[in-house]
Amino acid sequence: MAVIHEVASGMGGIRTAGDLVARVQMSKAMKIKEAKKYVAEKLGVSVIDLSDSYLMKELREELDIGHVQVRDRASYGIEAKFNISKVLDIKINSVENFKRKVKMI
Amino acid sequence: MSKFFTRMGDGSAVFLSEAEIRRDLEEGMLDAADRGKIPELTDDEMERLYQIITDPQKTVSIERGNEVVMTFDAGTLKLPVRAGLPVDRMTTVLTHERVLCSDTMEIGNADYSYKQLKNIVHEEAASMEFTQLNCIIPVFYGAMPNLGLYTKPDGPVDNWSELLPMAKIGEARAAQEEAIEMAVKDMVYIASILYEAGADGINFDTVGASGDGDFLATLKAIEILKSKYPDMAIEVGMAGEFVLGMHGQLEYDGTRLAGLYPHEQVKVVEKAGGTIFGAVINTNSSKSLPWNLARAVTFSKACSEASNIPVHVNAGMGVGGIPLTNTSPTDATSRVSKSLIEIGKADGL
Amino acid sequence: MLIIEDAIKEAQEAIVKCDENKAVAIAKQAIDAGLDLVKLLNDGFSAGIRIVGDKFGRGEIFLPELILSAEVMKKVTEILETAIVSDSAKEKKAVILIATVEGDVHDIGKGIVVSLLKTQGFEVVDIGRDVPVDKIIEKAIEVNADIIGTSALLTTTLVEQQKLEEELRARGLRDRFKTIVGGAPCTERWAKKIGADAYGEDASDAVVKCLKLLEK
Repeated sequence: MAVIHEVASGMGGIRTAGDLVARVQMSKAMKIKEAKKYVAEKLGVSVIDLSDSYLMKELREELDIGHVQVRDRASYGIEAKFNISKVLDIKINSVENFKRKVKMI
Repeated sequence: MSKFFTRMGDGSAVFLSEAEIRRDLEEGMLDAADRGKIPELTDDEMERLYQIITDPQKTVSIERGNEVVMTFDAGTLKLPVRAGLPVDRMTTVLTHERVLCSDTMEIGNADYSYKQLKNIVHEEAASMEFTQLNCIIPVFYGAMPNLGLYTKPDGPVDNWSELLPMAKIGEARAAQEEAIEMAVKDMVYIASILYEAGADGINFDTVGASGDGDFLATLKAIEILKSKYPDMAIEVGMAGEFVLGMHGQLEYDGTRLAGLYPHEQVKVVEKAGGTIFGAVINTNSSKSLPWNLARAVTFSKACSEASNIPVHVNAGMGVGGIPLTNTSPTDATSRVSKSLIEIGKADGL
Repeated sequence: MLIIEDAIKEAQEAIVKCDENKAVAIAKQAIDAGLDLVKLLNDGFSAGIRIVGDKFGRGEIFLPELILSAEVMKKVTEILETAIVSDSAKEKKAVILIATVEGDVHDIGKGIVVSLLKTQGFEVVDIGRDVPVDKIIEKAIEVNADIIGTSALLTTTLVEQQKLEEELRARGLRDRFKTIVGGAPCTERWAKKIGADAYGEDASDAVVKCLKLLEK
């Protein structure tokens, strides 16, 4: 059951920085420690903070990169990924697709 | 003598003494070291495993700071198909993102093989595009190479599972070589369309289920895809702990594929251009959780240490030490989770 | 002069290395030297096949080699059996009927089990995949099977193995056949629950269990 793994050892997805670390692993084939370090540096926090849902909620809202709670005027879906791409300095495939579709590039 | 509650590999409860647990841990670890020709766990690691197994808490967890990320196979099949929830794929992905807080998700078709997707690939691509507009977490597209589907009666190639018992070895090998080329073409075709639809990554799942040919086809497909799309993230999840030699002579870049164990499999995946490696260690349902877990952790540690790419150890039903049951008990699952990460050095699950 | 200990050692090696010429030569030399052919067959060639099966289970040798070894074994057995007056040395052979259950088209694992069983001298009747219980029973009677083996890869088709046990009991045929079950979601506990005689964890284990069933 995935929920048990998440509780026992998971980072917590968009409650924390789980999606961000996963993105960096995927785009740079980085091992977990390096990927966490990379994300922490980009966010300006310590590695241990990446799994702190209290701190990450504030930071995610501040950076407007999406969070579990939907707020009006907050970025959502592809909008949040535009911001994630900038914050992490990585290319996100769907974001690049979107840019092409709306003739941004 | 006091006994500790633990599990058998089929998930059933069992009470074992300290001596029995230590014996099972030792035997499981030695079995992995012997089969894989890999280093044994240290005394400290074995002691740690013993502590995890006998921890009185029902559910255990990793220490703060050791958290990892999760990737999933059969992602969108779990809620609407297996659990029978009347929800579509996008709702499934968003439920995982916003309620279950998964780090990643995967879209997959109920008929989960690349060959079967050719007629519906554009509908799959549209589904990926809609989902990508609405989700934040990375979303893979996944399916199996499933080389067996290219054989009669499902496909055009002679069935090597029938030829081999008749000792028609040359014919069986030729049939596999023919199927490999077909599978490579299908995998590249499907993965290209899904990637162009915005998938964050492509998952090749249950690789090697049809033997070494299945693995070679996947490696060849990865090479082509990486040359077409250098930024594509590719996860390779294996089918078993060693590559079955259905052909026996197939090589990738000078390495014979049959018989490779996880620490060797990951090296060829890395060479082909894979981004994440999903190691598999089979659970023996007749042995205890301590035996299976020590074995899985020994393989996992060797694999992770050999690898330059992240290793996400498969930890679902019947693999990675998880008991072979649809509803794996949470006490066992959480012990596997903690052990694979803290001792097995997994970069994810 | 060839002595039995050396012949046994070389027989094992010949099987493990799939060396037909060497195996045949040893068999002929042993006959000429008047060695104990029963011992040579059991402790030499048959032991070699058991080593091969074990190596296959560990991923050290592969299906084609396994098949080749079995072919060498077949040739050697023919040569030795004609020279052995008594039947006592002959491997106890049995007929095993094998099928993937109805609703399930997965047959790769079954194919491996079939190959391994053949290497051990079983006569295997493979009736394919997606086979209904009625047809399994009908065919088992027709070929006079000793063992019925069924494989199921899906949790949804596992119940067909239970159906087979119930149907055999209902028709008063349960004691006529031994049954063995296997497949990814199958466990020892499941085998016991449905009343099957044995459970094969994997292909190698299935062969060991089938051999044990013959002893019962």
